[in-house]
Amino acid sequence: MKINIIRILSFSVLLSVLVSCEKNDEGQGTQVVTTKTVRDLPADTILGINTTTGQPYGAGKYTFYSLENNVIVASADSATSKWDIGFRGTTIITNSGNSGPGQGGGFVFTGLFDDLKTIPADSTFRTDNAPSSYAIPSGSNRGWYVYNGPVNLVTAIPGRVLVIRTASGKFAKVEIINYYKGGVTPATTDSDDIKLRRQRFFTFRFTFQPNGAKAF
Amino acid sequence: MLLFIGFIGVAQTASVADSARSVDMDEVVVTATRSERLLGNTAVPVTLIRQQTIRQSGSLRLHDILGEQTGLFITQGFGRGVQMQGLSPDYTLILLDGEPLIGRMGGVLDLTRLTVGNIRKIEIVKGPSSSLYGSEALAGVINIITDGSGQRKFQADARYGRFNTADLSVDGSTRFGRLRLTGFLNYNSTQGYSLLPNSIQKTVEPYWRLTGQQSIAYDLSERTRFRASFRQHHEDIVNSIVVQNLGSQLLSKGRELNNDYNITPSLSHRFSDAVRTTLRGYASEFSSRQLLDVAGESNSYNDRFRQRFIRIEDQTDISLGASLSLNVGGGYILETVRSNRYDSLETERRNTIGYAFLQQEWRATEKLVFTGGVRYDRNATYASVWSPKLAVQFRPTASLRINASVGRGFKAPDFRQLYLNFTNIAAGSYSVFGSLVAAEEIRRLQADGQIDQVLPAFGLLKDLKPETSTGINLGLQYDLRPGWQAKVNLFRNDIENLILTDIIAYKRNGGQIFSYLNVSEAFTQGLEAELAARPAEKLSVSGGYQFLITADKSVLAEIRAGRVYKREASTGISSQLDRAGYAGLPGRSMHMANLKLFYGSEADRWSANLRMIWRSRWGTSDLDGNGLINRDDEFARGYLQVNLAGSFRVNRMLHVMAGIDNLFNYSDPYNLPGQPGINPFLRLSLSNPGSNSKSLSIK
Repeated sequence: MKINIIRILSFSVLLSVLVSCEKNDEGQGTQVVTTKTVRDLPADTILGINTTTGQPYGAGKYTFYSLENNVIVASADSATSKWDIGFRGTTIITNSGNSGPGQGGGFVFTGLFDDLKTIPADSTFRTDNAPSSYAIPSGSNRGWYVYNGPVNLVTAIPGRVLVIRTASGKFAKVEIINYYKGGVTPATTDSDDIKLRRQRFFTFRFTFQPNGAKAF
Repeated sequence: MLLFIGFIGVAQTASVADSARSVDMDEVVVTATRSERLLGNTAVPVTLIRQQTIRQSGSLRLHDILGEQTGLFITQGFGRGVQMQGLSPDYTLILLDGEPLIGRMGGVLDLTRLTVGNIRKIEIVKGPSSSLYGSEALAGVINIITDGSGQRKFQADARYGRFNTADLSVDGSTRFGRLRLTGFLNYNSTQGYSLLPNSIQKTVEPYWRLTGQQSIAYDLSERTRFRASFRQHHEDIVNSIVVQNLGSQLLSKGRELNNDYNITPSLSHRFSDAVRTTLRGYASEFSSRQLLDVAGESNSYNDRFRQRFIRIEDQTDISLGASLSLNVGGGYILETVRSNRYDSLETERRNTIGYAFLQQEWRATEKLVFTGGVRYDRNATYASVWSPKLAVQFRPTASLRINASVGRGFKAPDFRQLYLNFTNIAAGSYSVFGSLVAAEEIRRLQADGQIDQVLPAFGLLKDLKPETSTGINLGLQYDLRPGWQAKVNLFRNDIENLILTDIIAYKRNGGQIFSYLNVSEAFTQGLEAELAARPAEKLSVSGGYQFLITADKSVLAEIRAGRVYKREASTGISSQLDRAGYAGLPGRSMHMANLKLFYGSEADRWSANLRMIWRSRWGTSDLDGNGLINRDDEFARGYLQVNLAGSFRVNRMLHVMAGIDNLFNYSDPYNLPGQPGINPFLRLSLSNPGSNSKSLSIK
């Protein structure tokens, strides 16, 4: 019954993912770039707990997102270049390597989202080689998040920008803001049940540069 | 350097020691210099807690009374530990009658294991004291001195408080000519309590403890004394634990059994008025057993740990004329540990230490005294250490003292840091390996194909060095008139080679592998001020305050380089963290203060006291992902605790005491699990006439 509630919740949220435009910036390129915020993007939300491993599990599917079009891309299009990044739990994939057929890639930049005006010329874009390595490294404190075991919470590391090369070879910058429903991390003292039900809902903001330049 | 380091005459201290029963005896301290000194003559910060204060405060265990002292912060986690000058409990050496107590868990020596029932006084020395005591004396030393005076007395105490907390003590001592005997027994138990409603697990589980201590002293001649003391402690804790297993909750029963034994024989001989030597032996064992029976599971968890510490030491005190004296000593330590947390119970891990120390005290003039010392510890399993110290006392007038000291302290890597072999399968499959076994374990996992990535930190594993610190104390003490005194002390501790757990590799399943590395440098600095006043004959008032700043130096460097970020909870937007936003090391309050009022006199049958302890907020856990304490919601709330106690002398033998600890019922289940809220108690004391009535009055 609990599982059903979560499932219903996750589907209803899937339909109600909110996207908003926050601001317009005069990019250093020729085109105006906008920064958009995506709220509560479900990423393989928890369905239950595996009774042999004790680990929580979801449906095992990625939620694909097109930064270029600012929309969720259907799972059926996973083998196309329609999506740029995918989310499943804490794992973030790019449309590159063995994850997808696109020209994607990415790396984690240390610094502030707004301060990243131009992608440094000497940057190396990594590609996915699942499951051993990803363009955006998976694991606590290796990429975009830190997992605090004693309180069982995942927190996006501040000052980390995911620099993404999209499926079509253009550039975007992404900042993960929160991993929990409503963009609010549960209290450390909340129950594990609450922490499980609310996790795997991404809030992030991104800027996509449609003209192919490395400047935002 | 040693040429100008010198000494105070022994003649002065000898005369004090002879007047053993005078009130002045209580003003003699031994811990600061490993020799008897008047409290006012020590050039390092020393706090003395008298038996009388402990009794009047109604304290039960050691942390109760330590928590009421200026600048001491009682930590919770692995029992109760004491934070001194902003340094963790790992860095304060706890001595019982001059011998180190063993059985630290997670670096913390649980102070609840120590009853205060037979304590004559507690001496607290702040600042590095490794030049005399070796490892662990990095923040300072707390020496618990029990009563072995041989004064004929008998005393029994019974205290009862909330949660069926009972404490019973019997203490007696006597002498037959040259023979002195003491015996002490304490029983302490509670049914525990729960601060969270509807919780199966209690915040503090029921336990009972039994402590016994005996001593024998025999004067073989006018010049030679033999002493031996014995201590036994047993602790039995019953846990109801909810085990999260495969998503279901299993109620299980746990039990923790801790035992420790100490034996301390010593022989001291005075060759002349100028030369005295003491040969001391010390053997101690701490064993801990944790059992867990999970309902429906056949394999119950059984964790065992046994530590032994054996030491032989000699110290010789030499007086070279009126202005120069010398303490020279050396010893040998054998330490062993067996635990299934490290390897198997069959494997014994051991370390041996040989050491020598020298201290000189030179009284240059009546007003100027230098004390200097150095100790060398040669360790079998990690790097050897030199620990020097220099202290100066200047007394421009009879009522003003200026103290300055600088010293080095160290803490040796403990067995856990060297040999731990622990894998938590439940929480993310992380492993922690001691620095000496990590390389081997990782090679084993690599051969199994379980290792994803080995980090550069892995290369740093080889040479774990002792953690060292340089501490500076600058103090001023002014005696206005009897009962009125002001003290200020400035301190700074620079810690190097701080050992922290760091990730050295990742497993293929995403699990992290940690080991212990010398990765960090930190500092603590601050100011401590104390005022004592006696506005009326029967009223003494004292107040204390500590201001504290701490920081991880590598974090400061990162902040200066602009590479540290924070995230606002409300907006979710990252921004740069500046120096002012960084609150330093977690678990430290910037401000701590206390105010105590004691009312009564020796002639009165009544006495009463009020003690208030306040601390400002302290960092608990990082919530915005930068690993630092910087956001308001990352702190535990500051609080005020008020304790009240009063006593009434019914007749020459019987005393009644009543008190309320935590009068305003403050509790914080998550950050202060050991603080049960308001706690009224009643104590009855019976003592044989004449012997102990003094200690029940107000001084």
